[in-house]
Amino acid sequence: MTTKQITLPIAGMTCASCVSHVEGALKNLSGVAEAVVNLGAGKASIEFDPARASIAQMSAAVADLGYKVATAQATLNVSGMTCASCVAHVEGALKELDGVTNAVVALALNTAKIEYIRGLVTVAQMKRAVHDAGYEAAERDAGVSAIDREREARQREIRRQGLYLAFATPIALVVMIGTFYDFLPQAARQFIPELLAEKWLLGVLTTPIVFGPGRQFFVNSFRGLRHGVTDMNLLYATGIGAAYFIAVINTLWPDAGFGGEGATFFESAALLTWFIVLGRFLEALTRGRTSEAIRKLMSLQPKTARVIRGGAESEIPADEVLAGDMVQVRPGERVPVDGVVEQGYSAVDESMLTGESLPVEKKAGDSVIGGTMNKTGAFRFLATKVGADTALAQIVRLVEDAQASKAPIQKLADWVAGHFILGVHALAILVFVFWFFVGYEKFFDPDTRFLLSPFTLGEIGVFGFALLLSVTVLIISCPCAVGLATPSAMMAGTGKAAEHGVLFKSAEAIENASKLQTIVFDKTGTLTKGEPSLTDVLSAGEPAPAAAEILRLAAVAEKNSEHPLGEAIVRGAQALRLQVRDAESFDSIPGLGVEARVDGRGVLLGNRKLMQARGIELAPLLAQAEALERDGKTVMFVALPPQAAVSGLIAVADTLKDYSVEAIRRLQELGIETAMITGDNRRTAEAIARQVGIGRVLAEVLPQDKAAEVAKLQTLGKKVAMVGDGVNDAPALARSDVGMAIGSGTDVAKETGHIILIKDDLRDVVVAIEVAKATMRKVKENLFWAFIYNTLGIPLGAGLFYPLFAVVISPELAAALMAVSSVTVTLNTLLLRGFVPSLKRKPAHVAAAAPAYAPPVPARVSVAGSE
Amino acid sequence: MEIGRKIAITSAAIYTAISLTASVLFLGAATLTGQYTAVARIGGAVWILLLSFIVTMPLVTSAVKKRMKA
Repeated sequence: MTTKQITLPIAGMTCASCVSHVEGALKNLSGVAEAVVNLGAGKASIEFDPARASIAQMSAAVADLGYKVATAQATLNVSGMTCASCVAHVEGALKELDGVTNAVVALALNTAKIEYIRGLVTVAQMKRAVHDAGYEAAERDAGVSAIDREREARQREIRRQGLYLAFATPIALVVMIGTFYDFLPQAARQFIPELLAEKWLLGVLTTPIVFGPGRQFFVNSFRGLRHGVTDMNLLYATGIGAAYFIAVINTLWPDAGFGGEGATFFESAALLTWFIVLGRFLEALTRGRTSEAIRKLMSLQPKTARVIRGGAESEIPADEVLAGDMVQVRPGERVPVDGVVEQGYSAVDESMLTGESLPVEKKAGDSVIGGTMNKTGAFRFLATKVGADTALAQIVRLVEDAQASKAPIQKLADWVAGHFILGVHALAILVFVFWFFVGYEKFFDPDTRFLLSPFTLGEIGVFGFALLLSVTVLIISCPCAVGLATPSAMMAGTGKAAEHGVLFKSAEAIENASKLQTIVFDKTGTLTKGEPSLTDVLSAGEPAPAAAEILRLAAVAEKNSEHPLGEAIVRGAQALRLQVRDAESFDSIPGLGVEARVDGRGVLLGNRKLMQARGIELAPLLAQAEALERDGKTVMFVALPPQAAVSGLIAVADTLKDYSVEAIRRLQELGIETAMITGDNRRTAEAIARQVGIGRVLAEVLPQDKAAEVAKLQTLGKKVAMVGDGVNDAPALARSDVGMAIGSGTDVAKETGHIILIKDDLRDVVVAIEVAKATMRKVKENLFWAFIYNTLGIPLGAGLFYPLFAVVISPELAAALMAVSSVTVTLNTLLLRGFVPSLKRKPAHVAAAAPAYAPPVPARVSVAGSE
Repeated sequence: MEIGRKIAITSAAIYTAISLTASVLFLGAATLTGQYTAVARIGGAVWILLLSFIVTMPLVTSAVKKRMKA
């Protein structure tokens, strides 16, 4: 037995019994000869037979015990991938490495995200594995340099394919003219030498195209084949190779039996190469545009910063700013890093990061976000977060992670595309065998024409004909478009959402959000502001004092109170610009209210019990108080002794946030059921639900039970989202199909949930859902275009309709269709760039909803008698 | 022998055998069933061999890998 020694880092062990558990579990695995765990180092040293035990089995055994084999992550930029089968090959090559626990390749981003066990495998080994599979890999840098390198790599590819195209285009044109010489009008033939129609000259002209721009397909497919993998390049290489090979044989040895001069299709090889290179060129051009959002985000990071060190201002590279540096920002400059304003005043445009359209005022003590644009004034701020810790870096990372992840629909598409190539080659065998043994003899017509071509196949023999159809099947079946359909749309969708301050954490979140049936909103802090506000002031009596006077007296009485209800009254009075002076005396009566002396008169403010205890008659305002309480409001009575009856009442309540009503209404228009969950009593909960327009209320639910309530809805077969502020909703956010953490600000890294809404604006829930639906609509459209092409193309290519029409598709036409398919999918995705969420599209909609908003001042300040 | 090399040799032996068999079967069928020229028969057999290699290579390699690592 040949054994191998490895060391696994184990996380989660706390004591000696953990050691014996882990050792025992490892030793019990068949093939493990010895396992020694070092608790201090958190490592397990294992001797095992690689033929009988694998690292994956050991990791699983450790995980079964509740510990974890610690893993690290690496991201590689992979170049040379063209299709979904490339994705499968690179993933396969990486996963085969000992120590790699997972690898996810994003074709659209040209990246491979690898989870690996440190010490067992190195990034260099990963790069070598990718290289051996026929692609190139480089370590991914962070920040601005990464975007520069990515842009450089993409431009290099555009340049490369552009050069190939520039080289191949005139020659392919000449080859085509030469091939169709006999069909040209007499006038044209006067200017074109007849020599051009000579087969040997066409061969000479085609050769540099096949071995110049076409060389990449041969080289890449050979690299893949060496490692037992097949990809699109192989389809191209076999197609171009077979067309060229037959043409050469028929030119040099016309009697060899390959169809003779009539089957000398040099133009097939030339145009096939030209179309594929054109497809690659267009793809390289358009593919970059789908990831524009992330580039836009990355480009927000300014390259330099003005730092004040030792009293002197100097300009340094932004990535050299340290936490604790004092940074100067002038009007029109971008804020280089995150920090807190120390000096100065300005308005900063944060729209690019938060989606907030209006500039935000900044004064001493306010925080500023790196990447945002300073508009008017100058200020100095203390840098608090730099480099990878800034909000911008976190947002970019989050969007990148989402773009690199795979939605379930994409996994399926990748699997189909990955296995498609093999299926196509198997089909090519069947097609060849059929037309060789049966089809040619039964159906072949010497007048057979190529579709969209004046050419007939003439005296082509059985082998040439069967080979032609077999090659056409290979070319026409290329599943490039299938591989691009989902990731390109996901990239555009996540980028579009980020523009509006909505961050999807994964592609799966987009897919799930598009299928939502029910959205559960946390009440406090999500639908409502989460703090009491003044809503009503009523007065009574003969003569009744002004309601504003009642409010002023109450505010003065409460001015020194720290009770939240008292603070709400003071804020309400200040909002109405009432003068709130200090009371002459103030006495708090715990659990009941306050008693104060204001302007030489006594003021009693408190609940019913206080009034009853003091013998104050409630009757003048009792009916109104009960009505307000039914609406979920908290009522406090105001008495002005020696009057025997109450003189007024003040109601406070947790009011709705701006736009809550509008957001709920729009969700209902989208056919999504809305529900509210809260720990409040049913009466208050129902009152708020009524105001906001929610029909389903889950009241009196303890924070720890919210997740169970979400699960209950899921058992009814519904796709449920939970929207919360993430404070006590984390379990419910995690339990739901889509958890949306709202109002997280830009510190997005610590947020729970599948979607992060940076702004505290419920309309972004609608934005998230509409972007998700639009993205999935694009995914489905793209998959339709990709599959419809293959579904129609393969039977045509295989000659299914040949017995009826005696027409075949030439390989170059097949290549043209294939290129059109990929470009159609990418262009369709680009349409998503113009998508605008409905609530941002219709300002009139916002205006119409305005009366329903919770006003910042009391809803009613009135005299009871006047109502 | 290193396990990777063993997998490569075993798989190569299997997929080569399968592909050659497919190619020979084609050649035999073409020889016995019709009036095909030598070029058509041999050309067809080579094409079948090439495509069979492409189809069987990844399938056999991954199956052998799974079996040997199991």
